[in-house]
Amino acid sequence: MVIVKPEETGLKELLDRILDKGVAVDASVRIDLSGVNLLGIKARTILSSFKTAEETGLDFPKGTEFSTPAWKDLATKKPCPVCGMESRREDLEEEGCPWCGWNYKPDER
Amino acid sequence: MKRKAVLGAAGTTNQMRDETMENTTLKPEKDYSGLADAIDRILDKGLVINADITIDVAGVELLGIKIRAALASFETAAKYGLEFPTGTNLETAAWKEAMIEKEECPQCGKRVEREELLNLACPWCGWESAKAKKRKRAKAGVKMEV
Repeated sequence: MVIVKPEETGLKELLDRILDKGVAVDASVRIDLSGVNLLGIKARTILSSFKTAEETGLDFPKGTEFSTPAWKDLATKKPCPVCGMESRREDLEEEGCPWCGWNYKPDER
Repeated sequence: MKRKAVLGAAGTTNQMRDETMENTTLKPEKDYSGLADAIDRILDKGLVINADITIDVAGVELLGIKIRAALASFETAAKYGLEFPTGTNLETAAWKEAMIEKEECPQCGKRVEREELLNLACPWCGWESAKAKKRKRAKAGVKMEV
């Protein structure tokens, strides 16, 4: 039996890429009128998924609770290279993937 | 009418063929091609939008805007401890449900409690993980020895 990773199709792949890589837009606009600086706009914008934001240390809104298990999972979990399901990184490297059986050899205890 | 019936029959055989194919390759039914699925994905992963904007007129800073925004579904927001508007009652059953870690079944695509899916099987389609199978085999082995 083969378990196939969900097919990476168009929009989904595009979104994943954009969100996982993050987008930074740094724009400045200056409007001068007869040599006099009339209006200046500076905009520094960043757009990314929670995971990337956490990894790259972006600011979250005030009041965000960082002690929930989901935050810990972001740092410790990794997707399996075959089926894409996430497991704890050490478990995946030492025991293999418990979902699809890739490289799976759990400790006989 | 007759023709419709024939078409219907052909549809069923196709469906059956699809089903058997699915059983051998285990592909999730869900494909993320539509807009709805794209929105699903963004809300599920969460989106951070941070922006610092300054506007100055004639060299004098007039307006500064600092945006720290996080966009996520209720479930994701609850999991990551985002703050909800004051007055939201977080003690309801739905919030507790949202805090339970869930995972999408690789076969049928339904969201199931992670522990159940990994250790037992998918309650919807019966899919079993490698861990669950291994455990089952080990159990059977113990029984045989006894």
